[in-house]
Amino acid sequence: MTLPIVDMPGKRSYPPRQSDFTIKFWQGLGDGIFQTTRCVKCQKLSFPPKPICPHCWSKETVWETLSGKGTLYSKTTVYAGPAVFKEELPYQVGIVDLDENIRIATRVLGDAKLDAPVEMVILKYEDGNLYAAR
Amino acid sequence: MTNNVAILGGAALPVGKWQGSSEDETQHLEHELLAKLVMDAMEDAGLEKSDISSLIFTLPRPYTQQKYFATFMANYLNLPCDGLVMEVLGNGMTPALAFQTAVDQVTLGRAKVALALGVNFESATSSYDHMMSSMRATGDVDFHTPFGFTPISWYAMDAVRYIHEFGSSREELASVAVKNRAHAMHNPIAQYRKPMTLDDVLAQRPIVDPLGLFEVPGRADGAVCVVVADEDVAKATGKSYARIRGAGFYHEGAHQINETPNDMIAFGSARRAGEKAYAQAGMNAKDIDFAELYAPCTIVEVLVSEALDLVARGEGGRMAAAGETSVGGRIPICTSGGLQSRGHPAYVTALYSYIEVLDQFRNRAGGRQVEGAGIGMTSAELGNYNAALVHILEAVQ
Repeated sequence: MTLPIVDMPGKRSYPPRQSDFTIKFWQGLGDGIFQTTRCVKCQKLSFPPKPICPHCWSKETVWETLSGKGTLYSKTTVYAGPAVFKEELPYQVGIVDLDENIRIATRVLGDAKLDAPVEMVILKYEDGNLYAAR
Repeated sequence: MTNNVAILGGAALPVGKWQGSSEDETQHLEHELLAKLVMDAMEDAGLEKSDISSLIFTLPRPYTQQKYFATFMANYLNLPCDGLVMEVLGNGMTPALAFQTAVDQVTLGRAKVALALGVNFESATSSYDHMMSSMRATGDVDFHTPFGFTPISWYAMDAVRYIHEFGSSREELASVAVKNRAHAMHNPIAQYRKPMTLDDVLAQRPIVDPLGLFEVPGRADGAVCVVVADEDVAKATGKSYARIRGAGFYHEGAHQINETPNDMIAFGSARRAGEKAYAQAGMNAKDIDFAELYAPCTIVEVLVSEALDLVARGEGGRMAAAGETSVGGRIPICTSGGLQSRGHPAYVTALYSYIEVLDQFRNRAGGRQVEGAGIGMTSAELGNYNAALVHILEAVQ
């Protein structure tokens, strides 16, 4: 299951760091894969992906691809933002409840309504990837 | 010995712009301002310098020039201490944690008198630059910050969800700002005191949809000293004081959002912390005469007052619009003018709450005085009220 890829102009305003562990997530975005970790012991999903399970504190987790489908819980438009985001103002951010019962915070594209279905897309910048809901 | 703890005195700098720049011929120095407040607060408490055993400071902003501020101040005041001298940090909860630590010093018997005090200097740094730091505090640096979330964008999403779920409106939420300005007009230490109408609020430029400039907190400098004492010490002074009747803390183990979908706008941590404070005090919401709540935006005041049972769920906006939360109304909230109008020098903001409680209890709140103010409530928070610290205080005359 791969997600649509949206080409974005320029570089990311505030690039995320990658660890030896999370690099799999960020590189996966480049192939349209939106994934996170599931605990081997208690079977619960967690987001962001983690080498530990925050629920049962097991140290064994496995990667699992997410559907990229969810509903929009809330959103806002930011008109006054930090210095590095000045060029992007105004922009939309929101909270999405994924179908796998995971809540994430992300960019929002378009005019999605609250409680309406949204899909995750990959935002492909010159220097790497982010993701958004639309 | 009663083992009760009292707020016995306090002093605060008017909230506003105090910090200068290197281009000014003279600047306000943080320690000169605070040292005077310490003396004013101790005079207000009717105590002597030698009574103090502990100094619990809020950590200054990184833009404050003097570092290791606590030990610097102990020297500046020539004040040996056998309890504790330290600085506390916990974002918006910082001043409430300093206060709680001072209270703990007295409860533990390590001090008869402890000061909770601090300076917040930040106005010389622009909002765009300040947000470069604050955006990293209110979110996951790698999984939230890259999208451009700002501290108040989380509250804005609370507002959007609240209007969606409860059929409230931006106008109802904005009436909270109008109410708070009406209170601040009677508060000589408030940052914004000019009269303001609902139309004025709605006409401002948008900051984070649906909140405009007057529905979010401005940025400011401030300084406060609060004197906390063993109740026996307080009694011996013959002065009136605020007795701490209940306290409650709760952290939901989440930062901004819970990774498992929940009712984000129920402010569950405020509810749990409030329940603990009510239980310890042997009280419920009907016993509260006024509440000084930490609420950076209009929507936050609505949600935390609902979580603390001061107003009915989903009705907070409408009740503010109807005047129920105004001085003279059923349950006055943020009589100081709150964070939008009294002002928000973030690392000392909650200390201003205890000053307001003492002013109300000592019947010196002037035009914002709550008739028969006998029981007051305060709150402070982390994140999007992911954690809350709630106190219930009682006037002892």
